[in-house]
Amino acid sequence: MILIVGGAFQGKKAYAKEKFSLREKDFTDGGSCGWEEIFSAGAVLHFHAYIRRCLEEGRGVSELAKELAGRNPDVVVIADELGCGVVPADAFDREYREQAGRVCCALAKEAREVHRVICGIGMVIKHD
Amino acid sequence: MFALIVGGSGSGKSEYAENLAVSWGAKEHLPLYYVATMEPWGEEGRRRILRHQKLREGKGFETIECYRNLEELKLPSRGVVLLECLSNLAANEMFAEDGAGEGTLPAVVQGVRALRDRCCHLAAVTNDIFCDGAAYDETTEQYRRCLGEINAELSKEADQVTEVVCGILLHQKEAVNEPVVEQL
Repeated sequence: MILIVGGAFQGKKAYAKEKFSLREKDFTDGGSCGWEEIFSAGAVLHFHAYIRRCLEEGRGVSELAKELAGRNPDVVVIADELGCGVVPADAFDREYREQAGRVCCALAKEAREVHRVICGIGMVIKHD
Repeated sequence: MFALIVGGSGSGKSEYAENLAVSWGAKEHLPLYYVATMEPWGEEGRRRILRHQKLREGKGFETIECYRNLEELKLPSRGVVLLECLSNLAANEMFAEDGAGEGTLPAVVQGVRALRDRCCHLAAVTNDIFCDGAAYDETTEQYRRCLGEINAELSKEADQVTEVVCGILLHQKEAVNEPVVEQL
């Protein structure tokens, strides 16, 4: 598994396409895909949105990273880094922000590479 | 050794800071103190505190609560201190009735300096709350500016500054253990 993180609109998808020779059809969108699609896709975009949907539906996310790594070991996962702001006023937003962070920590543990993208430029922050 | 650990929410910064403090303590057989700054307000606050307590369980920390006025804090003995976190401490100083108010920046910075001088090794955890691009009211902006200045001021004095991203360590300032050899 490859994990790509960074702020919103930093060029993470374009970076992933170039770096890992992905085509448009390899991507599934975590914000709208079916629950099972992430386990067969070549790459998952907006994985943070998938986590948000899970929490909204009351689906647990504590085993999500392990399950994804186990069932789709070659997937490229792209997620926004969203923990670096002021604590949100809304309780669900706080929970989402924290859980998204925890899932990304777990994904990073499973991933053989973690890239962080800023201004379209990627930096490898973990490499097995 | 004085290490400043910075990261966003859910970044894994606490876990790293704990492990760092535990490793210092083990190496020199020093007692471990956890200086907790979060006031247990409401159910969610209590749950957050419980989560952190669970993380620390069995690691041998003695917890000391300090919500304000860190400069006056007395430690039972010289040891390793994990201070968590500067963002709570700054908020308590700035917004509580008996807090430092406009003097929050010097209160927190001098408080950390005093604590550092009273212990053998200090790991201080702080938050990155600066990258969400949202517009906030003036009070929140004042708080963000203040915490940004606290972080920048203390990182100058720290031996090690580590950013934690998804549990991965990005050493922005490395601890220098070897004496620096001057270039001729």
